[in-house]
Amino acid sequence: MTEQTDPLLPELARKLVETLGLDMEPESVDPAAPLIGAGLGIDSIDTLELVVMIDKDYGVKIDNRAAGVEAFASLGALAAFIQQHRPASPA
Amino acid sequence: MSPQRRVFVTGLGVVCAGANNVAELRALLASPRRDFRPPTVFPCQGATANFPAAEVAGFAAALGGEIPRTHRLALMAAREALGEGPPPDAIVLGTTTGGISATEEALKAGSTSPSDYRYHGLDTVALHLADALHVHGPVLTLSTACSSAAVAMSVAQALLRAGLARRVLAGGADALCRLTFHGFRALQLLAPEGCTPLDANRAGMTVGEGAGFLVLESAPEERPVLALLAGTGLSCDAYHASSPHPGGAGAARAMRRALEDAGMEPSAVSYVNLHGTGTVDNDAAEAKAIHQVFGATLPALSSTKGLTGHPLAAAGAIEAVISVIAMTDGLLPANTGLATVDPQLGLSPVLAPTRAQISTVLSNSFGFGGNNACLVLRAPGAEMPADHPRVASRALPALRIAGSACLTAAGGLDETWNALLAGKSVAGFVPDAAFSKAVQAAFVRRLKRLPRLMLALAQTAHAASGAKTPPEFVAVGTAWGPLAETQDFLRKLFETAEQFSSPTDFIGSVHNAPAGQVALLLGATAPNLTCSAGDRSFAQAVLCASLSMAATATSALVMAAEAHEARLSPLLHPSAATGPLASDGGAALVLVPDDDAPGARVRWLAEHGDLALLEERQTGPYDAILVSVPASLAVDAGERLAKLTSAGCPLVIFRDRLGQHASVGATAVALAARAVLEGVLPFASAPIPLPHKRLLLLELGPRVATLEVFA
Repeated sequence: MTEQTDPLLPELARKLVETLGLDMEPESVDPAAPLIGAGLGIDSIDTLELVVMIDKDYGVKIDNRAAGVEAFASLGALAAFIQQHRPASPA
Repeated sequence: MSPQRRVFVTGLGVVCAGANNVAELRALLASPRRDFRPPTVFPCQGATANFPAAEVAGFAAALGGEIPRTHRLALMAAREALGEGPPPDAIVLGTTTGGISATEEALKAGSTSPSDYRYHGLDTVALHLADALHVHGPVLTLSTACSSAAVAMSVAQALLRAGLARRVLAGGADALCRLTFHGFRALQLLAPEGCTPLDANRAGMTVGEGAGFLVLESAPEERPVLALLAGTGLSCDAYHASSPHPGGAGAARAMRRALEDAGMEPSAVSYVNLHGTGTVDNDAAEAKAIHQVFGATLPALSSTKGLTGHPLAAAGAIEAVISVIAMTDGLLPANTGLATVDPQLGLSPVLAPTRAQISTVLSNSFGFGGNNACLVLRAPGAEMPADHPRVASRALPALRIAGSACLTAAGGLDETWNALLAGKSVAGFVPDAAFSKAVQAAFVRRLKRLPRLMLALAQTAHAASGAKTPPEFVAVGTAWGPLAETQDFLRKLFETAEQFSSPTDFIGSVHNAPAGQVALLLGATAPNLTCSAGDRSFAQAVLCASLSMAATATSALVMAAEAHEARLSPLLHPSAATGPLASDGGAALVLVPDDDAPGARVRWLAEHGDLALLEERQTGPYDAILVSVPASLAVDAGERLAKLTSAGCPLVIFRDRLGQHASVGATAVALAARAVLEGVLPFASAPIPLPHKRLLLLELGPRVATLEVFA
């Protein structure tokens, strides 16, 4: 599906699985699949857990609904959101 | 229906943002003004400094080693409530933070000295009051997050109605601390500009602090009656760990129960003091619940949290004080902070303080774990009767144990029983295999050790009861609560210069989180209580179930457990032990009203500050006295135990065999229930005959609690 692989994807997949304690291999997270809801069983608390991780590790804030909808559409969308909003110097 | 004993309010005490006593709160309600600022009691830098809190002014932060803020706020309000009056027979306190502020400082400093953690137990707040105020009877602590104080009022009401006390100091206390401030911040529930409950643009809550107390009496003689606590209603959403049921179903149930308990129709309510935190979800769900309960004609209503902030476990008590002031002063409190009423809510809150005659107030408190508690307070009317019974009842009814489970180092109940019969100790940590398979992996993914232990115990006890439907009432005891969640939350916070923390750990850290999970697992929507009173936690859970079941015949799940946490447990001196004695685990019982069915029974007997005064409630004769002695008290327990030997039956000091943790009394009761049926007590050092089939359990901590188990 994805034409080029975002270098952030493997790292984000690993952090996703670790942060949320998901019972799966990071490689098996589909970068195009919806992040929240039935597939991975990720809910609103998990989402907030990811918000904190992304702020802490990448200096990117997701503090309103619109940003959340955009960022958590999929793992690929999250990687793109982080790349786009990352501060010039790492936080 | 038998006439319930009336419960009278004869004293008020309060401290909250903007008011250090009742007179100041009165003035504040008449001309509301708020002064929310970033907290000063702990450092706030960077992004955290953008969020205001509702801090009690002129009340210095405790320095290391001093008595924590929660304790001091509580004593200040308690003294005001009691005035010059005699000490109460009992204390019922709601708190969630206890002395966590002291623990935070100690963890930040990397302290490994147990004395720096001596206020960590929630029990220490109520014990501080009991010491200062000379209270000898039961000292209970309820911890159900933001409904704690209202739940405490309900338990106090039940104590009075059961005749176990005539005068109770009931309320709640919580101080600002990092855990709650950063926890709500991580959940994105803090309003950047301060809370604006019911507003179309509301953006969250404002964490507050304070304490509130009511003196509740069944037969007031000396002091004027200020109000009646006419009814209380508790319920559990059994919907989500931290979010309210979106339709407000649980909240509506608690409101209806409180009104039924008061024997009143919704139309009799003149004012509703809303929970109204200012979060999008709470206010929306609460509005729906209000419409369900009141229909087309709504009473006057407002949230006062725009004035006081949200004082968490103290909210129900501070708002009960506000409710009484509303009635005595004839003043509808304003919904401070509100600019544009959210049209979606369909409510017309009181916008400015308004003079009105107010005869009946409904006060709402809701908390994490879907925990709902509502109070109905009434103005003292001309119809006030003087015919309340003066004689305290001798004892609470016994409850039949329909199913049980325990977890020890040996495993479940059968493994534990057999290991003990073989002469082995079952002290130590519960092996993962003993509890990891009881509940679906997906259900427990985010949960740490304590909730997993609790869920396994609940599931196993329910299965053992053979009942088709699970118990709806849940009472959990835990001295130390979810320690791993607390420690992980604070570790992450301190590792990131107090900037980042885990929302999952925060939700998991509240003492009633495991009870909330049990409710989710079982679909248990009746009252859901968590008692946290050191080694007396399990006994208090049995007491709460007994009080509830005296009123409504249903089945209850009563349980207690502790989970060892590598860093904190060894520092929590009063009931933990290190080395070979370090243990965790617990037990669960499904209890039903006593009937003719065969089986063992358990009965709560007493709690007292003085061992000698326990004798009067014992029914005996006992085959043995099972004595639970915390490690820290083992040295000076000898003298107290010497007094007991005169009782003429053998003492079985069991913690060395069953495990040294605060909830091991629950395990002892589960085993004792089997012992009286099978005629053998497997954890005595020598064989003890059981001709009476009756055992006394004695929790020997800073206060003494007793239960009996018989067949």
